[in-house]
Amino acid sequence: MRIDSRERFGAAVREALAGREGHKMEILVCCGTGCLANGSQKVAEAFAEEVEKRGLKAGVGLFTKKTGCHGFCERGPLVVLQPSGVLYTKVEPRHVPDILDKTVAKGELIPRLLYKDPATKKPVEKYEEIPFYKNQTRVAMRNIGKIDPADLGDALAHGAYAGLAKALFEMTPEQVIAEVESSGLRGRGGAGFVTARKWKAARKAAGERKFVLCNGDEGDPGAFKDRSIMEGDPHSVLEGMVIGAYAVGAHEGYIYVRDEYPLAVVHLTLAMAQAREAGLLGRDILGTGFDFDIRISRGGGAFVCGESSALMRSIEGKTGEPRQKYVHATERGLFDCPTVLNNVETWADVGAIIQNGGAWFAAMGTEKSKGTKAFSLVGKVKNTGLIELPMGTTLRHIIYDIGGGILGDRPFKAVQTGGPSGGCLPESHLDDPVDYEKLTEAGSMMGSGGMIVMDDRTCMVDVARYFLRFLVEESCGKCVPCREGLKQMLAIYDDLVAGRGRPGDIERIERLSAGMRLGSLCELGKSAPNPVLSTLRYFRDEYLAHIERKACPAGICRDLTAYEILESCEGCGVCLKACPAEAITGEKKALHVIHQGKCISCGACYEVCPTDAIRFFPKAELAEAAAAGRGGAS
Amino acid sequence: MSESVCVPIAPLEEILERYPREEASLIQVLQDVHRAYNYLPCDVLVKVSESLGVPLAKVFSVSTFYKAFSLTPQGKVIVKVCTGTACHIRGATQLIDEVRRLLDIAPGETTPDMGFTLKTVNCVGACAMAPVLIVGEKVHGNTKPAKVAKVLGVEEKHHAH
Amino acid sequence: MITLTINGKTVRAREGSPLLEAIRAAGVEIPTLCHHEALEPWGGCRLCLVDVTRPEWKGWAKMVVSCMYPAEEGLIVQTHTERVVETRKVVLDLLLARCPETPLIQKLAREHGIEKSSYPPNPEPTDCILCGLCTRVCDHIGVFAISSVNRGAGREIAPPFHEAPPDCIGCLACAEVCPTSCIPYETSDAKRTIWNKTFEMVRCPTCGKAHITTAQAGFYAGRNGVPRSYFETCDACKRREMAHTFSKLSAGAGGVR
Repeated sequence: MRIDSRERFGAAVREALAGREGHKMEILVCCGTGCLANGSQKVAEAFAEEVEKRGLKAGVGLFTKKTGCHGFCERGPLVVLQPSGVLYTKVEPRHVPDILDKTVAKGELIPRLLYKDPATKKPVEKYEEIPFYKNQTRVAMRNIGKIDPADLGDALAHGAYAGLAKALFEMTPEQVIAEVESSGLRGRGGAGFVTARKWKAARKAAGERKFVLCNGDEGDPGAFKDRSIMEGDPHSVLEGMVIGAYAVGAHEGYIYVRDEYPLAVVHLTLAMAQAREAGLLGRDILGTGFDFDIRISRGGGAFVCGESSALMRSIEGKTGEPRQKYVHATERGLFDCPTVLNNVETWADVGAIIQNGGAWFAAMGTEKSKGTKAFSLVGKVKNTGLIELPMGTTLRHIIYDIGGGILGDRPFKAVQTGGPSGGCLPESHLDDPVDYEKLTEAGSMMGSGGMIVMDDRTCMVDVARYFLRFLVEESCGKCVPCREGLKQMLAIYDDLVAGRGRPGDIERIERLSAGMRLGSLCELGKSAPNPVLSTLRYFRDEYLAHIERKACPAGICRDLTAYEILESCEGCGVCLKACPAEAITGEKKALHVIHQGKCISCGACYEVCPTDAIRFFPKAELAEAAAAGRGGAS
Repeated sequence: MSESVCVPIAPLEEILERYPREEASLIQVLQDVHRAYNYLPCDVLVKVSESLGVPLAKVFSVSTFYKAFSLTPQGKVIVKVCTGTACHIRGATQLIDEVRRLLDIAPGETTPDMGFTLKTVNCVGACAMAPVLIVGEKVHGNTKPAKVAKVLGVEEKHHAH
Repeated sequence: MITLTINGKTVRAREGSPLLEAIRAAGVEIPTLCHHEALEPWGGCRLCLVDVTRPEWKGWAKMVVSCMYPAEEGLIVQTHTERVVETRKVVLDLLLARCPETPLIQKLAREHGIEKSSYPPNPEPTDCILCGLCTRVCDHIGVFAISSVNRGAGREIAPPFHEAPPDCIGCLACAEVCPTSCIPYETSDAKRTIWNKTFEMVRCPTCGKAHITTAQAGFYAGRNGVPRSYFETCDACKRREMAHTFSKLSAGAGGVR
């Protein structure tokens, strides 16, 4: 049914809700990427089969649906039962009959499938009570995990397009911009530019043809919130873009999706087709006479295409080389027309802001960073996944209360935010509130929202080198400071981790960093020194150890680290099995030995030893030990 | 072109029907071509240049700029190890080592029997399941080096002494 | 016309024109490598960076490439602040590492106090500084025969598939515009070779000298609707013929004999 009036919209929503009344119970199987990788597709299929077999749909009104990412990826596959709110974790197909026969039929819980709170050691029944979820405020991700992204009706029943209806039926474009301005919304892709200001400039710009674009490039490794939004609630993105197009006077839009996200392309395409059919996108939207349609443009595997001018060149079919722009894209952008480019999360926030009002959004967050922000909490943390929180939440709260603390209860070392343009923050910054200004002050940045937690088994010199290797591959190569600078910077770091560091290296790094910061054409090159400079700022000792003592305190740099098995070894043989170089020998229940000549210092044995009977030490000591006539067999 | 492998032209013609014949369609066309042929054959690129009206030099420039494209035939199964930060922290290097050991190829290379191509990719967005290994279309999370042989479907190899 | 200051000196400039023009008109020398007056500015070499500020910015300044930044009323431009000079040095230091044996780069580096690069020299030295002038002029003429290939550190200038470029017309514009003369070519009365492509030459019917390639003549004729025969005669002979025609005409009109 095509919605072409206010009344019809109301009717469509009522119809969608009514359609769900028959759903006495719903089984929501998470089919976000994380759970899919753990086999949730089979779980969903098992449910469909077993429900069919038992005739539960018609009988009990039981519906199963596949949803987008719940966020609690560490515990997937996740299954939520509504309306009880019970969350089952690590569900396998073989658990399905029990879930149906015990929990669905009789309300009996299956304890081993429940999440166990590590603090109380007790199982938690409802997902809202789990700290991971309890402490979240989901705005951009409001419907992910609750709806089937392939079902427009489901989205409508959960409030999708209510903001659009309000904007088109009750507001002028200027009023829409004013509402967004009052919300304080800033770009959620990294730079944090004030969204309303961008829209105002585009509205004012001369030209008949204007564009609104969605940046779905999400190149920051460690960030996957945009992926989850595009896959799990594509309508939230579409709704935001239609509202934005209406506000600035654009009739054409593109969603730029990176090549590595094929499922997002599928879900967005389907959502767009359904929205068009319903009159929510395309010609004469909601019968108001406003035309706006969207095309999808897939990336080709280039991090630099997250940069706005490179992204636009990519849509134009060219190489992703940024343009030096002294004229803003809002005046001359895609195909030289006024263009508004916003991040996926920004667009997802817009619909909720129009629906609930700017003041509602601005009531959350800090003075300069309003609203909520999605983060992907990953790395050496117990509860990895996607979370959304008010700006101003502290890093400590995120990592310990929501994240559950460090994996294996190892010591916290650093948290990396902002991707390759960001930095590493140490323990002393754990009580920093997360907002744009605070993170930048500390030497990092918000970026896309990736938060990578690192423990003591992380070498900060290696981390900086990791980001340099990443950027060297991703630099477009147009300007000298970035192309040549990254190459030379990486060469210095290759030397540092191999024990070839020289006095003066830190000064050389700092000088080159300043040149890249000031001289590069685009933010890729300008912010490339951030991981370098932040690790130097907070972990200078580690650099000095690498340079002066040819040692890696974290025991990560393979050329500088050796391993040996201590006498407390109980001969369980786990290390022997784990060693990829077959460098360990030993009889059962007897002391095992690492053969230094074969050992590649990968640390696999150290990671698996159940009795802490392996230690690492600077490789340089091997030579000393050999000289002294001691040491392991070689 | 010096490479004189003949490739069937029908898939290309079908692809060209899907998009407007203009420069802006180039990358989408190349992606569909890459999916259909498993790489970008030279004579197909020449035809793309003619059909879209984009100079061959620009088509070549775009084909070599983006990492998604290979100009040489790839193996039947593409093995991708994610080297995003979370995966790096959780052992992507060990995974690459293991795949190298089993297949005897380095990232970017293809096995002589054209069975496998090994690639590293910069973050596929499954960071909570780090480290991630993608074999063909299937994503494997929390992959331990010991599981790699099974995931690839190859025999466990042992070093000759 | 608007007024701005360059290194403290007040100058006038066309509004919106690149700062570089006003800077050079004011007699200030700053180095450039990827700039060419006949082509759109590119902003790749970064040598023309300058510091700009405005009174209302309260001391805050930003570094911009003068080949592209538009002149505006009241702008305050400094071409040799400490950080600008230091950044130029870093750029030249990096370029010298890439092109240790290239005279132009050695000269520019020396002028900025750099005798030897502080980075390890390129194990495969090249003269190509990746300024893009060759591809930009080729695109500007409308030929699009060569392009930049790959990205990042592996970036290079090459014809499609690294083979003789099918679209090249042998006009030598790329070789002429290259600041380090790193595009080799051979040309004679019989033939011309560039980018591994060989061209036949057009010989002037008047003086017999080979002056352009047949491909070039065909390209120009095709583009302008001017007959192919127009491109047979070489420029020098064409000029002589035209001068002769004009003098005949003016004689007929009562001019000086």
